Formats: sequence, structure tokens, C-alpha cells
Amino acid sequence: MIEVRGLSKRYGEVLAVDDLTFAVRPGEVTGFLGPNGAGKSTTLRLIVGLDAASSGTATVGGRPYVAQPTPLKAVGALLDPGAVLPSRTAYHHLLALAAGNGIPSSRVKAVLAEVGLENVSRRRAGTFSLGMRQRLGIAAALLGDPPVLVFDEPLNGLDPEGIVWIRSLMRRMAAEGRAVLMSSHLMSEMELTADHLIVIGRGRLIADTSMKDFIEAYSEREVFVRSPQAEELRGMLSAAVEVRTESSDALVVTGLEAAGIGALASANGVELHELAPRQVSLERAFMDLTRDAVEYQSEKETSR
Amino acid sequence: MTRSTTQNFVRATKARRRPLVLRLQPQPRRARDGRVTFWHCLHAEWIKIRTMRSTLYVILGTLAFCLGLAALNGSSAGSEFADLSPADQASFDPLATSLRGYLLAQIALGLLGGLVITSEYGARTIVPTLIGVPHRARVLASKAVVLVGVALPVGIAVSLAGFLVGQTSLSRAGAPNLALSDGVALRGIFGGGLYLALAGLFGLALGTVIRSTTATVTTLFGVMLIVQAFAPALPGELGDWVSKYWPPIAGGQIITSHQDPDLLSPWAGVGVMVGSVAVLMVVAFIVFGKRDA
Repeated sequence: MIEVRGLSKRYGEVLAVDDLTFAVRPGEVTGFLGPNGAGKSTTLRLIVGLDAASSGTATVGGRPYVAQPTPLKAVGALLDPGAVLPSRTAYHHLLALAAGNGIPSSRVKAVLAEVGLENVSRRRAGTFSLGMRQRLGIAAALLGDPPVLVFDEPLNGLDPEGIVWIRSLMRRMAAEGRAVLMSSHLMSEMELTADHLIVIGRGRLIADTSMKDFIEAYSEREVFVRSPQAEELRGMLSAAVEVRTESSDALVVTGLEAAGIGALASANGVELHELAPRQVSLERAFMDLTRDAVEYQSEKETSR
Repeated sequence: MTRSTTQNFVRATKARRRPLVLRLQPQPRRARDGRVTFWHCLHAEWIKIRTMRSTLYVILGTLAFCLGLAALNGSSAGSEFADLSPADQASFDPLATSLRGYLLAQIALGLLGGLVITSEYGARTIVPTLIGVPHRARVLASKAVVLVGVALPVGIAVSLAGFLVGQTSLSRAGAPNLALSDGVALRGIFGGGLYLALAGLFGLALGTVIRSTTATVTTLFGVMLIVQAFAPALPGELGDWVSKYWPPIAGGQIITSHQDPDLLSPWAGVGVMVGSVAVLMVVAFIVFGKRDA
């Protein structure tokens, strides 16, 4: 379990992480979500002690990372997937990491098999594709069989097969009772993987909620209506219903189900050509939520 | 944090009163509470240095510099000896003639020392390294120990090889030469090896602070060759002071068999080099301990 309390990190003038407090519980995949530059990577670096916090604490199993008796058996982390000396073999890269924590070489072979790199373990890591490096980074995270796993943007640059593989790995790790924290800047990546969501923007906590609650709160349904008498229909809908005119013969209605609209139209003799319920994507909800916190917005987005 | 990691490191080393012998496979033993120790980190750093390609290249390069310069210097100095003035003949230094290769060897081993850490910054492996061992002082100390474990034997071996090749060239040319049984020969070989190991640590300290391989190499060239080459050109007292106390020049006295009265004695010179390396290493430990990775 990871506990972050009042964590802040200042780089000169910039407050990269601003008074963050949250917990990552065992048995769940916690999605750590935020736009680029929100402070996700910095927070993860603070958790494993790569950077020193300006204030606040981050603990794993009740201890700060530097105080872990055997660090790799407490936390497995993938923070920098390209981080491997190009001339060193995958096996020796992992062997050195394992040796530093007293982990036997048999475990190195086991994790190489687990991530599907056993056949290329004696190849120089410089010849690896991005996906293979990502697998190697995950193998390093699994070395100590830790109860807590931290992955920074694990799906970046992966092909669909790799994405499915990492998703199922994370689901399995959580099912085994581990705490899994995974960062991403894409909501669509979280939707299928995470049980819990922590959303940050500009270093501040925006939301800390279960995935289910997030979906319920933000996935409003809207109904697309096409009719030659669109304007007349618009006048019949009550003021409590939100209506957007999409074109001269099309409306988007929020707050009334398709059946209700159909009944209203039929009762008033309005001709309908199309009546289609649509779900607002979580991506849209996430973007609305973090709009104010996006570091660099394109002009088009800002003016909207 | 620096203080606590240093204390932990001191505790860890004190707790295990074992002689610091670098075996091919250090056998780390788990401390009673399952806590990982300095020995685990040492084992990890040993695996890293022996699986870094540059290590082999540096060793081969060092050997080539030392043998090549010993053979060339020995035969040219030997053939010129007969034409020297009596005063120059009296100050002829057969030991230094054969060990002149240290000038390039110190750069090579300094580069190895630098690479031990700059390769980690270059490839970003510093991230997994420090996630595996968050005790920074332990990481840097382990790097220093394995570096000395490689550089000291290599330094002694290349000095010995340079000595033998150089003295053979001198004796073929009919110039004064030394045998291994001369006391000064052993001082030059072992002292020269020690100097080269110190050059490695010098590179490690520089690399830790600078983090870039290129900038470290440039600095090594400046400190170890360029200052040495231009010291005589510096004005008056400054030139004299630099020629006497600049650490690589002072340390280089260890390979001379003829004492220049204006310069430090061999062991005093090595003392200056040890002192400067110690100061740089302290700076490196502080910077490495405090800086965000």
C-alpha cells in the first residue's frame, strides 16, 4: 500500500507537485491520470526516492522508500522503459539489479520467462524494440515479487498485443492482492484497466474516486434527434431539458430518454427521421475535468 | 538524507569486519534481519563493470599505450643517450623513460572511472540502479571499490609490462637500464599502478559531478595533459607552483628514478594526488547523495 501525504515538489519557481494526498490500496489497479505535465512522473519519482520531496511524505507499507530493508521486494517500479545500457544483455541487466537485492539468478530467469524474453535474454539490449524494452522494464519491476507495483505510462508506444498483455498482467497482479499504480495521460487506457482513479492537474489532486463512481458521475447519456421539424420539437421540450442544435434538422438532447422524446414527438405529430441514444465518452469527461489544468492548450481548444 | 545514508553505509561496513578482497564472485551474505547490505551492492556493481564493453576496450588501450610508449621511448632515448652532455647523462632517468605511457594510461583509466557512472546517466540506468539500491552512498562506494579492483591490478600489470619492454629497449641500445631487483623499479611499478588507480577514482569523482561522458573526458584531458604541457609556460611563481603541486604532475613523480630538487619527492607527490582525489570523492558523495536522480 502506498500512502502519499501532503506531498509537494518545487523545481525553482515551478510547483510540480502541490500538496498531494492519496492512497493506493492492495487488490486494485489504481489509475493515475492527468494531462501531460500534470506532475504524474514527478510524484512516482518521489515515491521511490529518486527525487527528494520539498515537503510531505510518501510511504510504502508504512516506510519511506529509502528505509525499505530490501527495496525491490517492497516495490517494483517501471519508470524509464528505455533505461538499459545498449551493450549489456538483458540477462546481465537484470542480474545486476537482482544481485543488489540478494535475489538469486534463478529468479532472473523466471521473470525473463514471465515477460516472454527468455529467448533473447543473451542479446544486447540495444537491439531491442520499444516493446521488448518495455517488457524488460516490467521484468525488472517483478524481480523481487513485490506487493506494490508502480508503472509510469506502461502502454506508451506499445502495439495492440503488448497493450493487451500489460493490461492482463496488471489485472492479474491486482487479483493476487498487490497494489498496482499505473499512470497515463489517456482516459481510454484507464477505462479497461483501472478499478480506482486518481486524477491530478498542475500538481493538484482533482479527483480520487472509484472507476464505477466516475463513470456514473460523468457518463451522461444524450439523445441525437433528426427531424425536418427540429425547431418545432425544440419548442415542445421542457426548460429542464438541455437541447443543442447541431444543424438545421438535428438536435442533441440531454436529460430526457429517447422513449420520452419519441412519445412527445408522436403526440404532437412531429416527424422523426432519427432517434439515437449516445454515451458521452469518459475521454470527454476527463478532458472537461482537467481543462483548467492543462499546461499547454492549443488555441482552438482555448477559444471553445 | 546524505548523513543517514552515510551512517548506514558506515554501519553496514563496520558490521561486517571482513577484509576488502575482491573475488571474482563476491558472496554476499544476508544480514540477520534480511536487510540487503553493502556486499550485495558491491556484487551488483561488479556484474555491471564486467559486462560493460568499455571496460575491455579501456584495458586493451591502456596496455597498448604503456607497451607502445615504453618500446618507442626506450629505443629512441637509448640511441640518443651517447650524444647527451655529461650533465644530461647524469640525470638520465631509465625508470621514467620506460613508464612514460602513464600519461595516456591515466586518461584511459580516468575514462573508465568516469564511465562507471556517466554510462548510467547516459543510458538512464541510474533510475533502475537507484530504485534497486536507494542508499546512494552505498552505490557510489561500491562503484569506487570495483573500479579500484579493476584499475589497480591493470595499472600494476601495464606498469610492469612497460618497465620490462622499456628496459629491454634501453639495454639493446646500450643505455643505462634497471633490473626488477632494483628497489626503485618496484616503487615505479607498484607506485605507478597505484597512481593509475587514483586516476580512475579521479575520473569517477568527476563523472559523478559532471554526469556527461564527453565533458568528463574533456576535463580529464585538460587536467591531466594540457595543464602538464603548459605548466612550464606559465609565468614565474605560478608556473613553479603548478609544476610542483598540480596533482597529476606531483603524482607522476612516482615513476621517476632521478629526483628533481625543484619538484616533490615520489611519495609526497602521490600524497598530493591522494589528497586531491579524496577531496573530489567527498564532493562527489555529497552531490550524488543530495541531487535528484
